[in-house]
Amino acid sequence: MGLVDRGRLPKPLTKLFNLGRSYSLWVYQWGLACCAIEMGAAFGSPRYDVMRLGVIPLPASPRQADLVVISGTVTDKMAPSIKRLYEQMPDPKYVISMGSCANCGGPYWDSYSVTKGVDQIIPVDVYVPGCPPRPEALLEGIVLLQERIRNEDMAAKWRGEHHDGVVERRGEPIVVNG
Amino acid sequence: MSTVVDRQQLAYIAAQAADARLNVELETEGMTLNIGPQHPATHGTLRIVARLDGEQVVWAEPSAGYMHRGYEKLTEVRTFPQVTTLVNRIDWLGSFANEVPFILAAEKLMEIEAPPRAQWIRTVLFELSRIANVTLFLGDMAVQLGAITPVFYAFRDREHVLNQIEAATGGRFHPNFDRIGGLKEDLPKGWVDETKAVMRKMRNFCDEMETLIVGNEIFAARTRGIGVIPRDVAMQYGLSGANARASGIDWDLRRDQTLPMAWDKIEWKVWTHPDGDSYARYWVRLQEVREATKMVDQLLDGIPSGAIMAKVPRIIKVPEGEAWVSTENPLGEMGYYVVSKGDTGPFRVKIRSASFNNISIASWVLRGTYVPDVITILASLYFILGDIDR
Amino acid sequence: MNPLSSTGETPAAAVAELVHDTRREGLIDQFRSALGDKLVDTHLKPGDDLWLRVRTDAWRETGHAARDLGFDYFGFLSAIDWMPSPYGKGEDDPTEPPPERSTEVKQGYAGGATRFQVFARLHSIATGVGITLKVDVPEPLELESWVPVYAGANWHERETWEMYGITFTGHPDLRHIYLPGDFEGFPLRKDFPLLARMVKPWPGIVDVEPIPAEFDTDGEAEAAPATDEASAT
Repeated sequence: MGLVDRGRLPKPLTKLFNLGRSYSLWVYQWGLACCAIEMGAAFGSPRYDVMRLGVIPLPASPRQADLVVISGTVTDKMAPSIKRLYEQMPDPKYVISMGSCANCGGPYWDSYSVTKGVDQIIPVDVYVPGCPPRPEALLEGIVLLQERIRNEDMAAKWRGEHHDGVVERRGEPIVVNG
Repeated sequence: MSTVVDRQQLAYIAAQAADARLNVELETEGMTLNIGPQHPATHGTLRIVARLDGEQVVWAEPSAGYMHRGYEKLTEVRTFPQVTTLVNRIDWLGSFANEVPFILAAEKLMEIEAPPRAQWIRTVLFELSRIANVTLFLGDMAVQLGAITPVFYAFRDREHVLNQIEAATGGRFHPNFDRIGGLKEDLPKGWVDETKAVMRKMRNFCDEMETLIVGNEIFAARTRGIGVIPRDVAMQYGLSGANARASGIDWDLRRDQTLPMAWDKIEWKVWTHPDGDSYARYWVRLQEVREATKMVDQLLDGIPSGAIMAKVPRIIKVPEGEAWVSTENPLGEMGYYVVSKGDTGPFRVKIRSASFNNISIASWVLRGTYVPDVITILASLYFILGDIDR
Repeated sequence: MNPLSSTGETPAAAVAELVHDTRREGLIDQFRSALGDKLVDTHLKPGDDLWLRVRTDAWRETGHAARDLGFDYFGFLSAIDWMPSPYGKGEDDPTEPPPERSTEVKQGYAGGATRFQVFARLHSIATGVGITLKVDVPEPLELESWVPVYAGANWHERETWEMYGITFTGHPDLRHIYLPGDFEGFPLRKDFPLLARMVKPWPGIVDVEPIPAEFDTDGEAEAAPATDEASAT
């Protein structure tokens, strides 16, 4: 839409779009390791149901997803696949890094084959710490992300502001407490 | 090798001939299909490269290593308690079960034994982690065959077991509860009765799965006769756990070796199946979960009172030596070969993980199968990537 | 199909009632008669476990002998590097001179003469007894492959090659299994450092920030002049 990239979208409309976007996130679950099970419990189990937040965990492919939750250890062998997956997602896209392994390498910080944090490869919006984080913590991460989306400036995002060389920066990332 | 293997060989040769014929007729090459490394059906980051002729697999090779975290190197720079924390995360569904053989090996080198109460509680938690692990398998294999409902039941009922593990140890999984010489803490009040109630729920779950899945004719059609692994091939590859028992090998490490745990003090059965196909593997695991719930009930009735921890020094230095301990983990035989040089940390730990051997048979068993059967067979072999890749 | 329930008697458990020492000592004799002087050394822990070390050129023969003696279950195969790590745990204080570390290569049970040893674990399901077989691997690091004996050794040998650099002659397909194709070095060797531990000093040992004077009740920072305090943090 020409109005969006020229920054001429009226505020109430931006608010409406942002509201709509934040409550219709399609999550691609990039479940790698133990955190994938907690993510599965958060997404698939009736107890920590994520669909009540408006987040649907069932896109058929990354090309149809808005949000990716990287849960589990990222190894150097796996890193190119993650980059390719991220590039397959259409804009606007968000990344949640779940668990200490994806945040910073976690308990394998000194390993020869682990990438110390997925933010070395793709930009991250929300970090959810824990080993593994409880499903409630992941849900809080998603809620915080939704809050951020609601307050987003669509024009700046469309223009791709905050591009910083190879890795884009999207403002300060959020760290979830607990 | 037995005649069943010859049948597989013939199927393979026939597939190759079909490939050649196709090439001559249509001047095409077989297609190379890449399943993974990110794929909902691969339990994690396993990549299978398959060469196809139409819908039939001519050659398949699993490519592991996407979750290789370098455990054996990391254990060399950590102390024994630190290694316990790390080792939880190998088989990340049944985490307590990973700690136990390592702790037992360290205790063997130190020549101490945990007090009886600790041994019984260890066994209870071990069986609970088996139930938590295999429950997910029961739902997961179904969802990979296309039946979506059972996995929700599995996650829901698994929550009850995880609640109990969390109440006792503080962690839903990765409890890090075992210590050299005993356990970290005693059980909370009321835990025993709650766990018995949970075991009743799990038995209902098993009955549900039996009617929903095992009795389902679609499931039977898709799994009977698929991925047959004969007994001698299974032994050569070192298949263990339910995979081995489903091929008719009557072997269960809980019964066939004496360890300072409480399995020899209760009555229970080992389930085997002679077929060796995917149906057998699912069926054996279902019976094992049911058996495990009964075992937990018996164990809970018999926990002796007493101390939780033996007398060990604050800073533990394990004397020089080598020890091998393996246990019947939910995935199969998991063992640790611990080499110690009298230091606070091990010198070398070789982690023998069940799924590594279980998956090494994939290239043999996947020859000549159809693509949907590839998923069925892998689902029935049940591996966890952390266990393969360590 | 009628599934089998467990057998009424358990063969391995019945065996456990016999004295294990005689069983394992009998095994040593059987191996000795199969291998002769190629069985170099043994170590027996009565009632517990058995270690056997064989000559380097007899490794595959040992595999065949073990399989003929009833050890048809393949446990695992791997290697040990007996050299102590020159880096310790990577927790050294960088301000101190590097500590004295022993460089003595001392092998474990059943002895040995080389830095690298390959060991394998086999099991006999019928009798419930397992053995550990060890073999020295001198330079150049080459050993016969066990793939013709146990098909499952394929992946284990690949992993051992990848981690230690020991080449298995006769292996159909010796390539990387865990590491990316362009990985340099053999990680499980003791002289392969964990760089993350080398790069930063271990936090518990090195005081990165000196104690500011206003919080210093012991008077440790007294000697530091005022200008240092301003540039300290």
